[in-house]
Amino acid sequence: MHLAWGPDEERFRAELVAFIDEHAPPEARVRRDFAGTDGEPGSEILPRWAREWQATLFDHGWMIPGYPPELGGRDCTPVQTLVYLEEMAARAIPRSLHFPGYAIVAPSLLEFGTEAQRALAPAAIRGDTVWCIGMSEPDAGSDLAALQTRAEVHDDHFVVSGQKVWTSYAMVAQQCFCYVRTDPSAPKHQGISLLIIDMSTPGIEIRPLRQFTGASDFAEVFFTDVVVPRDNLVGALNDGWRITQGSLAHERAGLWVEGVARLEQTIAGLVDLARRRGVADDPIVRRRIAEGYQRAASLRALGYKGFTSYAQGSSAPEHSYMKMATAELGKTLFELGTDLQGPYGAVVDAQRAEEEGRWIRSFFITFANTIAGGTSEIQRNIIAQRVLGLPRA
Amino acid sequence: MDFALTDDQVLLRDTARVLLANECPPSLVRAHMNDPDAADGLWTHMRDFAAVGSGSAVDLCLFLEETGYVAAPGPFFATTALFAPLLDALDSDLLEAALAGELTGTLALAGADGSWCPNAGPVKTFVPEADRVDRVAVVGPGPAVTIAESPPVRFIETVDSSRRLFEVDTTGLEGPTSPIDAAAVESIVDRATLGVAAEMVGTARRLFDMTLRYAKERVQFDQPIGSFQAVQHKLADMALDLERSWSAVYYAAMTIDAADTERHRAVPVAKAAAGEAAKRCAKDGIQIHGGIGYTWEHDLHLFIRRAYASEHFLGTTGWHHDRIADLLFS
Repeated sequence: MHLAWGPDEERFRAELVAFIDEHAPPEARVRRDFAGTDGEPGSEILPRWAREWQATLFDHGWMIPGYPPELGGRDCTPVQTLVYLEEMAARAIPRSLHFPGYAIVAPSLLEFGTEAQRALAPAAIRGDTVWCIGMSEPDAGSDLAALQTRAEVHDDHFVVSGQKVWTSYAMVAQQCFCYVRTDPSAPKHQGISLLIIDMSTPGIEIRPLRQFTGASDFAEVFFTDVVVPRDNLVGALNDGWRITQGSLAHERAGLWVEGVARLEQTIAGLVDLARRRGVADDPIVRRRIAEGYQRAASLRALGYKGFTSYAQGSSAPEHSYMKMATAELGKTLFELGTDLQGPYGAVVDAQRAEEEGRWIRSFFITFANTIAGGTSEIQRNIIAQRVLGLPRA
Repeated sequence: MDFALTDDQVLLRDTARVLLANECPPSLVRAHMNDPDAADGLWTHMRDFAAVGSGSAVDLCLFLEETGYVAAPGPFFATTALFAPLLDALDSDLLEAALAGELTGTLALAGADGSWCPNAGPVKTFVPEADRVDRVAVVGPGPAVTIAESPPVRFIETVDSSRRLFEVDTTGLEGPTSPIDAAAVESIVDRATLGVAAEMVGTARRLFDMTLRYAKERVQFDQPIGSFQAVQHKLADMALDLERSWSAVYYAAMTIDAADTERHRAVPVAKAAAGEAAKRCAKDGIQIHGGIGYTWEHDLHLFIRRAYASEHFLGTTGWHHDRIADLLFS
């Protein structure tokens, strides 16, 4: 066990920092409590600066450092990748404002795709092609394998009909990575296939979904007799579920870094807020903030422990804990920020609110974090059954 | 940041685990409740590992985690986590005997308020094993240390008999006095605090292991109770607290071994995280056991007692949160 990284890692870090200092646009250096839009109605989903920044990262081999140069990387080691994620997170600099293409689609295509499909990966990583993921449906949320969007199988094409929901970036996406049911008679996990669907195909209707916060980051996507070429099938027919299990795995040993860094930045913000509100000497306030710090610090340590197991080649269960724990703690911290403001906790107007209503607005956004990408309850089921070996009911 | 254990560390942990499983069964912990001599045989095995009292904090934690797992009674903690580090700071010629397991000792520091800071009070509190160790090191104002043999002591009864605590009356205490640096005292207390945290992670893991096994075996409504989501979610939350407290303890140990200033935050984080884990595993552990866990006959209470007594030893979770707050707001 040792605390410090080696000189090679520190040289690598210095090179990255020099790159960031030279190339990162000012917009990328603005703190955002959450990736994506600011939650403001009407804010642009994919601003020009973000697309240019993603392309710059790709062209310099800093987009996915563990990948080879032709895929926007520089063949980094796992430890170097962790250093990269640490440094970006510490500066709150996003790689991209749309995660599906580089984080899910590209790794899945590279692992499961045909040669022609693998050739789509660089544009997905560089952000030249914007992807959305067609997974959740009105009746397939936590029970994702219950999805019903139907794809009839013909000799050289599929015909897709059904509805997806919570589809991020659907309004701006050119392609959809879409999970469909190709065998309704098979057990539910075995009748699913994965298709690449061009979003300009006739029969696709996109309705932006205005959410609780007032913003529209998601959409409902309706498919009516959409014709998809047979070549757009990813992996084998009826074998799509395996790809949902694998697609989220990429970089997961380091994905906690951003979540933990955000918690730490939120705690620093709470300390400043407590001072401004004149409650920095209140013993209850101090203890609650310190408790948050303790939990974030112990989660950072757990993340490193999990990373160590991963770098040694074992399949580390720690990542199962990190998503649930960081999402839950984030919610607690932003709620505390509203508490510290007493009667002003719910005020969002520009004249009176602390940080333009950051605390209550972000608190509301955190509601999504314990739901999206697997609810906290599903995460606990996964821990209980896959990590602790408890039986299913 | 590398959490990988070296081969030597794996060997130390595994050796401790096997030794303590054999030599410190719950029956010994029970026998020790009524007769402290019952742990003397255990000490003859554990003394061979007293060398962890000096050097790597990671090694100390690895061993203490296992002593916490079995709720080991006896002078091991007092000698390795309190007495030996003090001798080390004094550059005392008794150190060699202490690390060889030939001389046991403890530390009398906390005053009447139970706070572990040098003070002028004549009565020192919460001194582990003060009646049975060979030496009691008393830290008085100055700060300065007097190493005493058999000072007058009074037993403090707690819910946990596996860590026996005493008041030491230092009025009229005779013996040579050595000055000690206040920062050195603080480092000793930090190291001991981390040692308790490591023990508590072990105790929490014991409570968790017992509960997980029970949830898989106990059948109600024709199925193991561990198949019920309400039980699964409690176990998942226990496992999370256990994982993060383990990580916080070894992170803090690494900061101590590297003499990194981050240790001032990392130690209270570790003790508070261990406190949260131990208390959760105690409360949810007995809840999942149901009625059987509430009996004297079942061993669960031995570890619940150890968990709560440790929570109140060397600073509660709340006290350590306040220490963290002082650093965050400084």
